[in-house]
Amino acid sequence: MSMVIDVHVHPGFYEKISQDKQEIEFRKKHAHWDLMSPFPVELTRAQMKFANVDKLVLLPMDLTTSAGGWVVSNDQICTMVEEAPDIFFGFASVDPYREDALDVLEHAFKDQKLMGLYLNPSKQAFFPDDPMMDRIYEKCIEYDKPIIFSAGMSFCDDCLMKYGKPLNFEPVAIKYPKLRICIGHMGWPFIFDTAAMLLKYPNVYADTSMLYMDSPEQFMHDVFMKQYGRLWLDNDLGDKIMFGSNNPRFRTARIKRGLESLDIRPETLEKILGGNAERFLGLEVK
Amino acid sequence: MVKLTTKKVLSEKEFQLISIREEVIKAVEESGIQNGIVLVMSAHTTAGVMVNEDLECLHVDMEKTLDKMAPVVADYAHSHYLPSYGATGGNAPGHLKQMLTGYEVVFPVIEGKALIRFAQDIYFAEFDGPQLRTYYIEVMGE
Repeated sequence: MSMVIDVHVHPGFYEKISQDKQEIEFRKKHAHWDLMSPFPVELTRAQMKFANVDKLVLLPMDLTTSAGGWVVSNDQICTMVEEAPDIFFGFASVDPYREDALDVLEHAFKDQKLMGLYLNPSKQAFFPDDPMMDRIYEKCIEYDKPIIFSAGMSFCDDCLMKYGKPLNFEPVAIKYPKLRICIGHMGWPFIFDTAAMLLKYPNVYADTSMLYMDSPEQFMHDVFMKQYGRLWLDNDLGDKIMFGSNNPRFRTARIKRGLESLDIRPETLEKILGGNAERFLGLEVK
Repeated sequence: MVKLTTKKVLSEKEFQLISIREEVIKAVEESGIQNGIVLVMSAHTTAGVMVNEDLECLHVDMEKTLDKMAPVVADYAHSHYLPSYGATGGNAPGHLKQMLTGYEVVFPVIEGKALIRFAQDIYFAEFDGPQLRTYYIEVMGE
């Protein structure tokens, strides 16, 4: 059995790294979160136990040049992983416009042992195939670290969705076939472009952290059983899609519940809930 | 005189009845108030406080009955994107179950003790867990 891994979690309200009220307000403003407040790691444990989830991938976001701060820093991710290494995997982030971006990444991968990189093209205002990104992709390949990109719709007021369209990642997938990349949020609403990327490029994955406008069950059914063909997950895309929730915006348990309600083969569900993430994250025994 | 006690509880399931009877008895005894009332109240809109008998079979019946009245999946108007939260409302059943069971209970306080009968257990009733929750025990009297 594979682990159950939620690959898309923003720990913006984890109590141990949420002591500064001004910082909380910064996070809320820049991640477009609102009526949420800090909570202890014991609650996260309880929620994971209830949902039968083994691991959460924690994602920071570096907005140094555009906003003068982070929506959770790499250091804070390390703090949480040290606090509960049995339940957390930590990713790094870097603002691509930083002059010291490579130093930040080198430190994150070499010293902090973070497992991958999170980038948000819309929020960080860059096109994935911008030449300035090459050095970052090459650093990820050097350390064999995958990248999760936020893609598709952004909830934030101050960023443009044009940066995060799924086809923007095609030049990256072609130029860096050894770089594992994830189109976050399924690239919703551009889900057919995402399907094409998943079909065409072995190094491209996607995660299920979309949203729901009705219920997790209804939304997942509409996307994966009606808008996509009924057998697309079972027959074509089941090796490339990973469970992600976008917690705290959406609860891990609810998105998992929506996935579990799909009429797909049990082995496909197991891959989506964790098997694919194990491969993406490099956890598989080689 | 009024004596307020604020309590926290960590629920572990989406639906969970957590006995708080002993906490209420203790708060009344420690308040020093001899005659009056004690109010026990949830601080939330998807978790309540209720009184019923502490029998496992009844807990099952309560959960199943409430689930029939407010099922997990239904066409809830509340299930839409809420800009004020930055999230989609996903807990309409919790709101409705709390409305059905209530969010507070009151007992008389006589000679320094809460007048709670044998079969009356007091529950913090979680309908949207797991969550870290707050409830109040307020003793009022003389």
